[in-house]
Amino acid sequence: MVIGGKDMKVVGVTTCQEIYIGSRSRNFRMNEFLIIQDSYQGDLLGEVVEAQTYNRYIPLNINGDLADNHVLESLRAIGYDIDEDTIYIAKIRLVNEASYPVETGSDVRIPEFSEVKDLMIKSSLEEGLILGEIKNTDQMVKDMDDEFKDILYTFENNELNEQKGIPFIFNLRSMHQYPHIGVFGGSGSGKSFGLRVILEELMKLSIPTIVLDPHFEMDFSQEGEYIPKDLRKDFSEKFKCFQVGYHIGVKFEELSNQDLKNLLESSGRMSDSMNNVVDILFKTRDSYLSFHERLKMLMDAQEEGSLDKIINKINAATTAQERKGWERRKEIFLNYDKICPYSSVKGIMWRLNRLNNEGIFSKDIREVEENLKMGKLVVIQGSTRILQVFSTYLLNNLYHKRREYKDAQYKGIAEDYFPPFIIVTDEAHNFAPKGYESPSKSILREISQEGRKYGTFLILATQRPTLLDETITAQLNTKFIFRTVRASDIQTIKEETDITEEESRRLPYLKSGDVFISSAVMGRTVFVRVRASDTTSPHIENPFDELVRNKSDDEEKFYDIIKNSIPINEPDIIYIIQDIEKETGITYTVEVFKERLEKLVQSGRLKKESTPFYDVYR
Amino acid sequence: MERKGENMYKVSKELKDRTKELNEKLKTKYNKVFQMSKNEIISYIEENIGEIIKLESLPLEELKKYYEKGGIIGVDGSKNRIGSASPHFVELYQGLAKCTKGQDSSVYKGDFYTPLYNEEEKNILNENEVKTNSEEKILNYKLSKIEVDAALEGINKFNPSVVMMDGSLIRYNIECNNEWIKLKDECEKRKIILIGVIKEIETSIIGNSMIKNKILKDYEIFGDREMLYGLLEYKDMILIETNVGNKNEAGLSSAFIRSSFSPTAIGLDILESQRDCIIDMGRLVVSLTAENSRGVPLWLDIVDKEVKISDKMMRGILETALDREILEKLFISERDKRWL
Repeated sequence: MVIGGKDMKVVGVTTCQEIYIGSRSRNFRMNEFLIIQDSYQGDLLGEVVEAQTYNRYIPLNINGDLADNHVLESLRAIGYDIDEDTIYIAKIRLVNEASYPVETGSDVRIPEFSEVKDLMIKSSLEEGLILGEIKNTDQMVKDMDDEFKDILYTFENNELNEQKGIPFIFNLRSMHQYPHIGVFGGSGSGKSFGLRVILEELMKLSIPTIVLDPHFEMDFSQEGEYIPKDLRKDFSEKFKCFQVGYHIGVKFEELSNQDLKNLLESSGRMSDSMNNVVDILFKTRDSYLSFHERLKMLMDAQEEGSLDKIINKINAATTAQERKGWERRKEIFLNYDKICPYSSVKGIMWRLNRLNNEGIFSKDIREVEENLKMGKLVVIQGSTRILQVFSTYLLNNLYHKRREYKDAQYKGIAEDYFPPFIIVTDEAHNFAPKGYESPSKSILREISQEGRKYGTFLILATQRPTLLDETITAQLNTKFIFRTVRASDIQTIKEETDITEEESRRLPYLKSGDVFISSAVMGRTVFVRVRASDTTSPHIENPFDELVRNKSDDEEKFYDIIKNSIPINEPDIIYIIQDIEKETGITYTVEVFKERLEKLVQSGRLKKESTPFYDVYR
Repeated sequence: MERKGENMYKVSKELKDRTKELNEKLKTKYNKVFQMSKNEIISYIEENIGEIIKLESLPLEELKKYYEKGGIIGVDGSKNRIGSASPHFVELYQGLAKCTKGQDSSVYKGDFYTPLYNEEEKNILNENEVKTNSEEKILNYKLSKIEVDAALEGINKFNPSVVMMDGSLIRYNIECNNEWIKLKDECEKRKIILIGVIKEIETSIIGNSMIKNKILKDYEIFGDREMLYGLLEYKDMILIETNVGNKNEAGLSSAFIRSSFSPTAIGLDILESQRDCIIDMGRLVVSLTAENSRGVPLWLDIVDKEVKISDKMMRGILETALDREILEKLFISERDKRWL
C-alpha cells in the first residue's frame, strides 16, 4: 500500500463513459477531478460523481457472527486494525467519452492545474464574473497561475476563509452565444446571496443592469464587515436605487392603449367591457388630467341618469362656467354613454385613482435611462404588484429603445445610442408565471427569445422553477441551482438542466451557498461555493434581535425625557406630563405614563418607594 | 388444489413418521449418556480425560507481546469445483496465510486439480490406490498441501510468534505428511507456536474412553461434539492428557474449549513439543473470539472470508484463463450451463 493516494486504480466493469475506481488509503470527494492513466488511450480526465467507503467487516458481521468490541481491541493489540480494511470507491464520469472502455486496473492520479485549466477557467479575470470557488479543487492549485490565486474569500461555518481552490469565473461574453441565466433555489439556500455576488461582479465590470427588487434588499451600500478593511469595495457610485412612485414613474403621455390597460389591470382585474372603455375613451397623447377629466365627466353625466336630467342641469346652471361644464358632459354623454356602461367607467376611475395615489403618474423613467447609459446598476424597488406593471412599461420601453438603435444601425439610419443591458429579477415566477397571462410575461418572453440579437439578457431567480413560464425556462442557457427541497422543482430542474441523477439527489442536502452551475459554456455541471459577498443585505438583522434592541431604545428615550423630573412623586405626574408635552410635543395619558415608569422599575433603571401617601419613583 | 394438498399431506406424514422413528432411535442410543448428569460427565472427564481449566482472556499488554514478537498468522484454504463426474471436473485451490502485523501481510497460494491431467499427482497414491482410483485422497492432499505451503511461506516472510491453522493439525499429518513434517520442524526450530483451531470436532475421545471403561458398549460410538454440547461453561478448557486419545502418536496435544456463549465446544491442537503453551493459546483463542459468536476466533473468520473462492470468482477465473473450447468441451456440465 502506498501512502499519499497513489494506490488508486480502476476497478470492475468499465464503460467508455463511466468507471469505478478504488483505493485503500485515499477517500474520494464529490466532484473532484482525477486522471486515469489508460495504457492504450493515454490520460483520460474524469470527475467523481459518487463516492463511497466500504468495509467488508463492518458492521462486524462475519459469517453471521457479530464481533464485539473486546475482540476488536484484542485484534488491534496483535497488530490488526479492522478499520484499515476500509476501501474507498468512487464512480467517475469521464469528461470526454473514451473511444474504448477504460482499461481495468489502470492507475489513477490527481491532475495538475495545467491539465484542467481549460476545463475550469473559461474566461479571463478582467472579462468574467468571479463568482466563487470550484469545490474540491484545492489539490490542483499548487501550480495554478498566481493571477488566479487569492482573488476571493468564501464564507463558511460562520467564518471567512481564504481561497483554497480554483476560482469559478463565469464567462460573461459567452452570454452572446448562450444567453440568459436562471438562478434556482429554495429559501435559505443562498440564492439571494448568490444573486448579490453576480450583481457585484456586474457592477465591477460596469455592465448596465436593471434589477427588479420586490424585497427591497438589493442595496449595495453596506460593506461586509467580515471582509478585511483594505479589501473592501465601495459600490456607492456603481448603483442607484429607485422606488416606483417616489423616484420614478410612468409618463402618462407616452402610454399606449395597451400600456394603460396593463397598468389598470394591476390595480384590479379588468373586464372585457372595461378594456373596451379604455380603447374608446383614451386618446393618444392624453395627459393624466385630460383622460381623468373625460372619465369624470362621463361619470357625472351617467350619474344624472338621462339626457333630460342633464339638460335640466344645464338650464339650472347659475354660472356660465357651470353651464359650459354640463354642456360638455352632455356631449360626452351622447358620444359614449351607449358604448360605455356606467359600471365599467366607474371601475376604471377607481383603478386610475388608485394608481395615481401610488404616485406612478407623477414621475418618469428618464433617470433610469441615464444611469444605464452610465453603465450603472439600477435597482427598481416596489411591491411585487407595482413592479409587475411598472416593469412591463419600463422593460418594453428600454428594450425597444435598444432594439430601435440596433435596427437603425443595421439599416444605416442614425438613432440615439442605447447600450446593451441585463435584466435581473428575483421571484421571477411572479413576473413570468406559467399557465396564465401576465403583462410582464410577454415582454420577458420576447426578450428571452430574441434579446440575444439585441444584447439584452435576463438573469431570472426564483424559488419555484416549476411555476416559471416554460418558454422562458427553455431559453436559460446557464442555470445556478442552489438547495432545492420540493420534489416538483427537482423534477423541473432535472428536465431543464443537464444535472445528473446523482446530482439531483444531492439537491436537498446542499449547504447554503453551494451551487451547481449547469452551463452550456462549460458543457457540464460545476459544483461551486459562492464567494463571500463584498456587501451585505439590509435585511440581515435577526428580527428578534431587533425586538430586543427596539425595546431598550424605547426605554432609553423615555428615560431621557423624564430624567430631569426624577424623583417623581405620584401626584405630580399630571404636571410632569404637561411639561413634557410642552417641551417635546409628546402626549402621555396618566395610565400610560405610569405603566412606562413601572417598566423602568422592572428593568432596574428606577426604584419605586412607597410612602404612606403615595409612591415615589427615583 | 385440495387434492394436491392431501397428497402433500400424505407424503409429509410418511416423512414425519420416519423422522419420528429416527428421533426414537437416537434417543434410545444416546439415552445412556443423556441420562448421565452434567456433573457425572464432568467428573468422568476430570478423572479420565484431563483437567478442566478456567481460561482468562489475555490482557492487552500480553496480546501486544505477540504483536511485538511478530504477530499472528492465520492460515486457511478454500476450494471450488466446476464440472460433473470424474474425470470431467476441475478443482481450484487457494491457500492464505495472513499476518496480523504489518501492511500487505498476506501470502496467497493457488493450485488446481483435474483427473484429466494428473501427472503431478499420480505418485501421491500407492499402487493399490491407483487401481481403486481413490481420487478423494488426492483432493484432500491438494487442499491440505496448499494450506501448509501458505503457512510455510508466511513463516518465512513474516516470522510470526504464532501460526493458527484453520482446522485440526492431525489432518495435515495424514493428508500431506511430507509438507507437514517440514512445517512442524520449521516451527519447532524457530520457536513459533503452531496451533490448529477446530470448529467442528470430529473426534470421539470421551466416548472411546467410556467404552474402554465399560461405561458404554463398544459398538456405541459417541462423538465429542455431542458429549460436550452444553457441558462446559464459557471459557472452560479440557486439557486432554497426553495418553488419552490418539493424537500424541502424531506428536500433537489437544484441548477442548467452550470459547463463546454458543453451547458447542471447539478443539485446539498444538505440537506436543509446545504443550507448555497450550493454556496461553487457549487464552489467546478466547480473547480473539467474540462471546456471541459460534466460537471461532475472529482472525480465522477474517482469513476464511478472504481466502474463499466464490462461485462468481471461479467462473471469472475459468472463463478468462481457459479457452472457451476447452472449458465447454471438458468441464461444463448440463447443470453448469445455466450460468454460462
